[in-house]
Amino acid sequence: MKFKAFLTEHGVNLLERRFLPALDKMGKICHLFLTRDHAIFLHNLLNGDGVQCIAQFRKEALFDDYRISSQNEDRIAFAIDVSLLLRAVRSSVSICTEFGNGPSANRLQIKLVKKLPLNCTQPMPFLTFETKGYKSAVIQDVPISKPLSRAQVLELQTALELAQDIPQTLVQVPELNQLQNFVERMKQVGDMLNVSISKYGDLHVQISTTLITLGAEFRKLLVIGEQAEAPSDDRNQSAQTRSERAISRGDAQRVQVSVKHFSRSLHCHLAKPDCTFYGIAPQGSCLTVIFQFFIPGTHQTDKSISLHCRLPVLDPGSS
Amino acid sequence: MSSSAVEAEAPDLVCQLDNVQGMVDALSAVRWKRHQDAVVELSEHGVVLIVEDTGCLQAKVYLQRELFVRYEYHAEGRPRFGVSLGLFVDCLNSFSAPGRSSMIEIQYPGPDMQLLIKSVDSLDACIYAEIRTRIPDTISWDYNFEPAGSTPLTFTVKSAALKEAIDDLEWPGSSIQINLQPDPPCITFKGEGHGDLQIDFTYYVNTDLVIAFHCDCQVSYRYKYKFLRATTSNLPSSVIKDNRGSKLTIGRGGMLKVQHLVSVARSATSHPHIDSAGHQQPSRIAYIEFFVKSEVDE
Repeated sequence: MKFKAFLTEHGVNLLERRFLPALDKMGKICHLFLTRDHAIFLHNLLNGDGVQCIAQFRKEALFDDYRISSQNEDRIAFAIDVSLLLRAVRSSVSICTEFGNGPSANRLQIKLVKKLPLNCTQPMPFLTFETKGYKSAVIQDVPISKPLSRAQVLELQTALELAQDIPQTLVQVPELNQLQNFVERMKQVGDMLNVSISKYGDLHVQISTTLITLGAEFRKLLVIGEQAEAPSDDRNQSAQTRSERAISRGDAQRVQVSVKHFSRSLHCHLAKPDCTFYGIAPQGSCLTVIFQFFIPGTHQTDKSISLHCRLPVLDPGSS
Repeated sequence: MSSSAVEAEAPDLVCQLDNVQGMVDALSAVRWKRHQDAVVELSEHGVVLIVEDTGCLQAKVYLQRELFVRYEYHAEGRPRFGVSLGLFVDCLNSFSAPGRSSMIEIQYPGPDMQLLIKSVDSLDACIYAEIRTRIPDTISWDYNFEPAGSTPLTFTVKSAALKEAIDDLEWPGSSIQINLQPDPPCITFKGEGHGDLQIDFTYYVNTDLVIAFHCDCQVSYRYKYKFLRATTSNLPSSVIKDNRGSKLTIGRGGMLKVQHLVSVARSATSHPHIDSAGHQQPSRIAYIEFFVKSEVDE
């Protein structure tokens, strides 16, 4: 089992400034799944109760000189502490800029090693960052779990494939900051959030307890996938009536998720996505958030990067 | 038929406000613990919110009708309802977005006697809330504040200095003595418990802190620290930033009245050069009053 690669400057920027800060908010531990073509960061895919978050990079998006080999079709997976990984990348970057002659002179190598730590009798696996300066080299070892067994990798691969279903209707949320701000404040009022999404482009979030109902409705959002014309007589109705009617017509779906999970998924804006879409998976099995990234300077989707979250549903809802 | 007639009736109050944060600040000022039941009283003059604690402390927030952009009052008498203060404030807070003024409409009652709030400034994004109200408890103790003598015993200090002094008195503890003496004019806060701490505000020495002082005879009363602390514990940061003063008056029986002013002006109009004296128009101020009963000496 071998893995060795050099992080490109673009790759370091992506990880250090955008993705690792976002993934750090999703949970302390994630799986890093490396294949011949991809590096994938996975949260909560093997244990079912949290927000599933999947950040997938084509190897070219992060690395050059990428070498991987294992007896399991060159696939390697292990668990890693995201905050430690972020710290290692950050300090490698600061070493590069401080001691090197510009970032291009230094190459940040990342590899999988087994070492015997102090006071231990068993060698332990590490992901090692090696920064070579002009006269010196700095090595940082980030502890990782034992690599996953063949069966566990298969389980991870299956979970990953299952997590790829795309909702029939997706609505684009234009101002993620605004929504996050609202949800952060909403968290004070209750724990469970009803989310309904219609084919007319309405996103309706609501907390309802015995003492209070607090909600927000965003209308006329851009719709991708199945869409429908909003009935004209709905215009003067309340947000609640509108979503009830849309659901009964079969033009909308509603699910209930944890407010904490919803707010956590909004932290993905730290990865600076260009667009964000919300949708409800078929049969209301989960609430899906898909983040879209453009090739810098264009409006074309960067297919080498993908990020999406799946929020577990607390109640099958009315769909 | 009669039900449709009831529905057609205008609600007791429909009002619109363009500074939610100001209202959140004003109401937060009387939030001294997690669960507090408040009584809200509506009238043609505005909205008053009252909270009370164990018959010893009462606080009132006056939101005059001038604070509202629109104020339509249709009730006979003065309707009152009970509401959870924490829920009301947390809910209002959801309507306030930083860096953006948001206009809200408040209506009472809704079809099920709820308090209804909704944002009204955007057609395509709307926030709404319905808060369940209760029949209010009768207020257990009447806080009739009467002047102690012919001249009022009163002083005004910078709110920030008052808050700092009360915060510092936490350490000595449970009971705080407030002493006013006319000559030399001086206010003393004294705490005895785990050690002693005395804080003096001398009128002529601290003219930048003590703005006004009226006292013709020496008086001294003790107050429970936790009640005194409640009067400044949640003072909004805008009060400190605006460098406002708080007025304290001692009434008959040693009842202490503490008054604060909280700005409810729109942030866009609150430039300091609007008014040369550095004050906003009085109509854009919410008045906060606390009444603290003195401890009876054994």
